Amino acid sequence: MHAPPTARRYRPPAPLGGRRRATGSPAGRNARAWAFLAPALIIIGLFVVWPMVSALRLSFMDASGFGREEFIGLENYLTVFTDPDVRDAVLNTLWYTVLFTPTAVIAALALALLLNSPRMPFRSFFRTALFVPFVVSFAVAAFAWSYLIDPQVGLLNHWLRGMGIQLGNVLEDPDLAMPAVVLVAVWKLFGFYFVIFLAGLQDIPASLYEAARMDGAGPWARLRSVTLPMLSNTMAFVLVFAMIAALQAFDQIYVMTGGGPYGHTQTLVMEIYESGFRKLDIGFASALSYVLLIATLLLSLVQFLFFGRKEKDLSS
Amino acid sequence: MTRKRILAGAVGAALAVAATGCSAGDDGGPVELTFWHGYTEADGDVLQGIVDDFNAAHDDVEIKTELKTWDSIDDTLLTALSAGEGPGIVAMPAERLPVYASRGAFAELDDFYAGAESNTADLNPGAVAMVEVEGAKYGVPTGFVPLAVYYNQALFDAAGVTAFPQTWDEWTATAKRLTVDEDGDGTPEQYGAVLPDHATVANGLWPSLFYANGGAVVDGDTAVIDSPENAATLEYWSRAIAGDRISPTGVDGIGADELFSGGKAAMTVGGPWMASIATENGIDYGIAALPAGPAAQAASAIGVSMAVTVDTSREEQEAAEEFFSFFLNEENSVAWSLGSGWPPLRTDIPADAVAENPVVASLTEIAGTGRPLLPGVVNSTDVLSAVDELTQQAVAGGDIDALLAAAQTEIQAALDE
Repeated sequence: MHAPPTARRYRPPAPLGGRRRATGSPAGRNARAWAFLAPALIIIGLFVVWPMVSALRLSFMDASGFGREEFIGLENYLTVFTDPDVRDAVLNTLWYTVLFTPTAVIAALALALLLNSPRMPFRSFFRTALFVPFVVSFAVAAFAWSYLIDPQVGLLNHWLRGMGIQLGNVLEDPDLAMPAVVLVAVWKLFGFYFVIFLAGLQDIPASLYEAARMDGAGPWARLRSVTLPMLSNTMAFVLVFAMIAALQAFDQIYVMTGGGPYGHTQTLVMEIYESGFRKLDIGFASALSYVLLIATLLLSLVQFLFFGRKEKDLSS
Repeated sequence: MTRKRILAGAVGAALAVAATGCSAGDDGGPVELTFWHGYTEADGDVLQGIVDDFNAAHDDVEIKTELKTWDSIDDTLLTALSAGEGPGIVAMPAERLPVYASRGAFAELDDFYAGAESNTADLNPGAVAMVEVEGAKYGVPTGFVPLAVYYNQALFDAAGVTAFPQTWDEWTATAKRLTVDEDGDGTPEQYGAVLPDHATVANGLWPSLFYANGGAVVDGDTAVIDSPENAATLEYWSRAIAGDRISPTGVDGIGADELFSGGKAAMTVGGPWMASIATENGIDYGIAALPAGPAAQAASAIGVSMAVTVDTSREEQEAAEEFFSFFLNEENSVAWSLGSGWPPLRTDIPADAVAENPVVASLTEIAGTGRPLLPGVVNSTDVLSAVDELTQQAVAGGDIDALLAAAQTEIQAALDE
C-alpha cells in the first residue's frame, strides 16, 4: 500500500545566486552600507555638492573669490537677464547648439547603421577608429585642428587650395569661425554617440526585421518603422547628451578663437569664464552658471517628456 | 595667438600643481615672500640677480621668485588668492592691475610713495598712472615702454628706402613702396608693414594711431572713442591696409610678429622683444618711433607692474616695500633696464647711462612719447574687446560711423559697471 502522496510543503525557489542572510543588527548594517558609500559620497560632496552650494551662495554676492564680499540679493540675476553680452552669448550658444546637435547625432547614427551591418568589412577596425577622437583630450584636439586649418601652414587649406578652394583665415572669419569650432566638437564627440547608437541597434530583436521583411518592408521602411522607433530611448539619451555638450561648449573655443572674432564664438560658458576669471566677478559668473544649469535641466526635461510620450505611443 | 594660449595653459596647469604659497615668518626666521613674475628670458636672470643681491643684503627677508608665464599668472592668481595661497609680490601686465586692485587684492602703497627713500620720485609719470586706481597707488612699475616700429633693414635697402618715415603719409608711402606683389594675384608676397586689426601687441596699436590724430579711447570715466578724429584715423588706415594692401588683414599681434620674423613684412609695431626675435631669425633690424600723425607723435605704452597682495602680514608688506625701493635704486634701475632691454623707469637716468645697449638707448630716447593704456580702467577687458571689434570690422570694410557709435556705447557701459 502506498502511502498517500503527502502534499509537500511548497517552497518558493531560491532567487538566482542564492540569498545571503543579512547579519548583525539593523544599525550595524546601516553603518556598513554608509562605509561602502562613503568614498563616493565624500568625493561627490567635496567636488560636486560643496562647489554647487558655494556657487549658489556666491551668486547672491558681489564677490571676487577673495577679499570682501557683499550680499546684493538678486542683482546678479537681474544683470544676467539684462546684460547685452549675455544676450549675445545666449544667441551664440543657441547657434552652436543648432549646428552641433543635429550634425553630431546624424553622423553618429548614420555611421552606426553602416557599421552595424554584418556585410561591412573591417567593422571592428572602423568602430575603434571612430571612437578614438573621443579619447583625445579636447584641448589637444583643438590645438591640432587649429594647425590643420591654419591659413599659412595648415594641411587642410593646402589640400583645398589644390582643388581651387580658398578658405582663408577661418578662425578670424566671423561667418566661418563658429562652424569651425563646431566641426571640432563634432569630430571629437560623435564617436561616443556612435557607440551608444551601436549598442541600441544591437538590442533590436532580429525577429522584428524578419517580420517586417515578410510584410514586404524595404530597407527604408524597415529603418522608419522598426529601427528608429526602437531606438527612440537611445535617441533621447543621445540628444540630451549632445545638447548638454553644446550648451557647455568651451574647451576648443577657448583654445582656438578665445571667443572671437569679435565675440562671434563667445558662448555662455566662455562668458562665465570671462566674467569670473578675467573680470573677477565671481558672483555674477555664479549666477550665470545657475541660470545655465536651470535652462539645461528644463530643456533636458522637455526632451525626455517628448521622447517618453513617443515611446508610449509606440507601445499602445 | 592660439599657440601661445595653449602653451600658457599647459604651463599654467603645470605651475598650478607645483605652486606653493608663501608663509609669514612668524617663527622668528626671516620674513619669506614669494614673488611671481613672467620674465622668462634673459630679463628673468637679471631680475633674479637683483633679488639675490637684495636677499644677501637683508638677513631678515628672503624673497623667492616663482617664474610663470604672464598668462598663467593671470589664470592662477585668482584661485591662489581665494585659497589664501597667493604670492606676496606679483608682477602682471599693467592693464590687468586695476581689476585686481579694485577687488581689494593688493595693498595700497600711497604711504610708500610719499617716502623719499622709496626712489619713486622720478618714476615715469605714465608708468605710475598705470598703477593708480581711484586715486590711490597699488603697485610699482617694472616696465614701461612705448610701442615702436621695428623694420627690416635689408628690405629697406632693397627698396632703396634710406630715411625712416616721419609722418603718416610718409609711412604709408614707404609701406607701399615696400609692398611687393610679383605674380599680380592681388595678394602681396611681401607686405610693407604688418598692422594687426585685433589683439595687437599690448593692445596698443590702434590707441597709438588714435592718439596721433588727436583722438583717444577713454577720458577718465568717459568713453570718447566716437569722435571725428577717430573716424578719420580709421578711414585713413583701413584705406591703407585694405585698399592699398600695405598690410595683410585679419592678423593679430602674434601673427604680426611671425610675419616680421619670417621676413614677409618690412615693418611691424612691437615691443623690445622684437629686437631679440629679429636677431634670432637673422634679420638686420632698425628701431624707430611711430611716425607722427596729424596731431601728435604718440605711442601707447606696454606696461608691467608689480604689487603686494593683501594676504601678507605687515612685516611682509614692509619687506616688499623695501624690495621695491631696492629695485628702483639707481644702480638696479640701470642694471634692470640693460638686462630687460626696456628703457629705465626713472626719468633722471639719461640715455647715456644705458648707451652700452643700443636698443635700450634708442627706446629711452622715445620713452617720453609713451602714453599709459587705459590707466585706472577696471574693466579693461570689455573696453579692449570693444576696440578690437571696432578696428577689425572697420578694416574689414564696415560702416565706421555706426561702428564708432556702437563702440562708444559698449565702452561707456564697461566704464559704468
